[in-house]
Amino acid sequence: MMMKKQEIQQEINTPEIEAMPQFEMAMKRVYAWFENEIIDRPPVRFTAHNAFLEAASEDISTFTKEQKKQWWFDCELQVDLFKKSIEGRQFHGETFPVYFPNLGPDVYAAFYGAELEFGQVTSYSIPFVRQWDDADQLKLDLDNAYFKKIEELTLHALERCEGKFLVGYTDLHPGLDCAAAWRDPLQLCYDLYDDPERVQQLADLAIQDFEKIYDHFDALLKENGQLSASWMGIPTHGRMHIPSCDFSALISGKFFEQFGLPILQRETKSMTHNIFHVDGEGVAKHLETILSVPDVHALQWVQGVGANYPILQWIPLIRNMQAYGKPVIVDLSVEDLDDFIDAMAPEGLFLWVAVEDEQEELDILDRINKWV
Amino acid sequence: MSPEREIHTEKVYRSVLAGDQELTSAHVQSALDANIDANVILQEGLIGAMREVGRLFEQNEYFVPEMLVAARAMKSGVAVLKPVMVRENLKPTGKAALGTVKGDLHDIGKNLVGIMLEGAGFEIYDMGTDVSPEEILEVIRTEKVDLIGLSALLTTTMGMMETTIQVITEAGLKEQVKIMVGGAPVTKAYADKIGADGFAPDASQATRLALDLVGAAS
Repeated sequence: MMMKKQEIQQEINTPEIEAMPQFEMAMKRVYAWFENEIIDRPPVRFTAHNAFLEAASEDISTFTKEQKKQWWFDCELQVDLFKKSIEGRQFHGETFPVYFPNLGPDVYAAFYGAELEFGQVTSYSIPFVRQWDDADQLKLDLDNAYFKKIEELTLHALERCEGKFLVGYTDLHPGLDCAAAWRDPLQLCYDLYDDPERVQQLADLAIQDFEKIYDHFDALLKENGQLSASWMGIPTHGRMHIPSCDFSALISGKFFEQFGLPILQRETKSMTHNIFHVDGEGVAKHLETILSVPDVHALQWVQGVGANYPILQWIPLIRNMQAYGKPVIVDLSVEDLDDFIDAMAPEGLFLWVAVEDEQEELDILDRINKWV
Repeated sequence: MSPEREIHTEKVYRSVLAGDQELTSAHVQSALDANIDANVILQEGLIGAMREVGRLFEQNEYFVPEMLVAARAMKSGVAVLKPVMVRENLKPTGKAALGTVKGDLHDIGKNLVGIMLEGAGFEIYDMGTDVSPEEILEVIRTEKVDLIGLSALLTTTMGMMETTIQVITEAGLKEQVKIMVGGAPVTKAYADKIGADGFAPDASQATRLALDLVGAAS
């Protein structure tokens, strides 16, 4: 359940981030946004979607597979890279500096025994369930190397974050994304026709421990005075989560309702703030089903790149999202900002704008202030 | 078209659309037993159905699972036809080598294109993922392909498409093959800029493009 604004504001007890003196006000703007309200202006983040990931990277393209894994597994290096990416930066607007331990989106599948292969900016699960009997070996293992590494990255970041940045939890993809990682996405598509009962069993397994996993990291972070945040860098005092289902882009509404919807209902029910990550048009086709889940509190729209860029072509879709009464995060380029502001009302929007220059950030805040 | 021919090819066509492997094989066999020409069964029944699958996919009536099971049914029909096709020396539409460029391990888009191209009668050489320009040169030299399909999902790896085309050009092999590109960050403008022969945003349109590029469009 969403908390009422007054309750939220009473319990706000914000950590101190040296480079973000307006932290408390920024939190209030975020909480207001969750309720489709505006205190003085809509929230603005001066970092594009996934930009924290890209900023905290380095060229490992010539590394061997093993060297790449070592690079991703090097706690000190990963936190160093993150710290370097935020060094000397002042955080304006609602740009919260949040480090989240990251081994790629298939790490949830890896907690059960799947292996990951690492690339430059992400990792890929090697399908584990080649034959259905292989699924019998899938078991959540809290001593698993990937689980322990996420824990280690979290603890290492916690040791080094004070006053500098927040620490969040990793990108958790339970449900159909996890099942697709175990089985291979295209194979899972065949399975929907060939063996729907097995798909159901795999999907059930892929959600059954979600709360246990979430609670484990939530407790670790809260014990260390952290808020609840993840890769979106939006902290809350409650239980923040980013449900998503990239696999849904491949399948019909009928299959998503049958296999995806029950997972989404379960995944979101114990959270106070769920922001569903709508990764492109393929996922957006399930919008009605996604928004039938009352615990989906907000949406993040990502139009993607290539022909799907820029955002202006998606204004009707964003308006449709707003028509459901849900707050929406949008990812804008500076060039599109004026046209976007002209076309849209500010209520319920959280703008993410990629800007390099601090003065430009301040100028944009001025423009946003005049929008309201 | 004779009524018998129409009845048989229609059954093949419908069973592919339904993604029914067993029925497709059975209908192809029945059509052969009724002395329907193998090329007619292939073109009007199997390939015709896959063309319709592509259309339904573009209309958001079919999705990836429906496309996959239809392509699999088509393949099972081709397997029944194969001995006759070999005997009658029926050639594939063309030969295409498909790969995801160096640095990129995503393969869903590439695999879908391969499945749909097979459905259009192409022979496929799957180069896999993380394929270097040098590996692609070797494939052009040894596999006698008509078409190269390059895929990239990441903005950080799409630049490798340009590098690959440069390497193919510098090796003097650009005129031997047609090169088509695709993947989430790729646009037609980018394809034109890097010297690709074509761009397609999805597997269905990639099939039409491939047929155009090898001069086999109906």
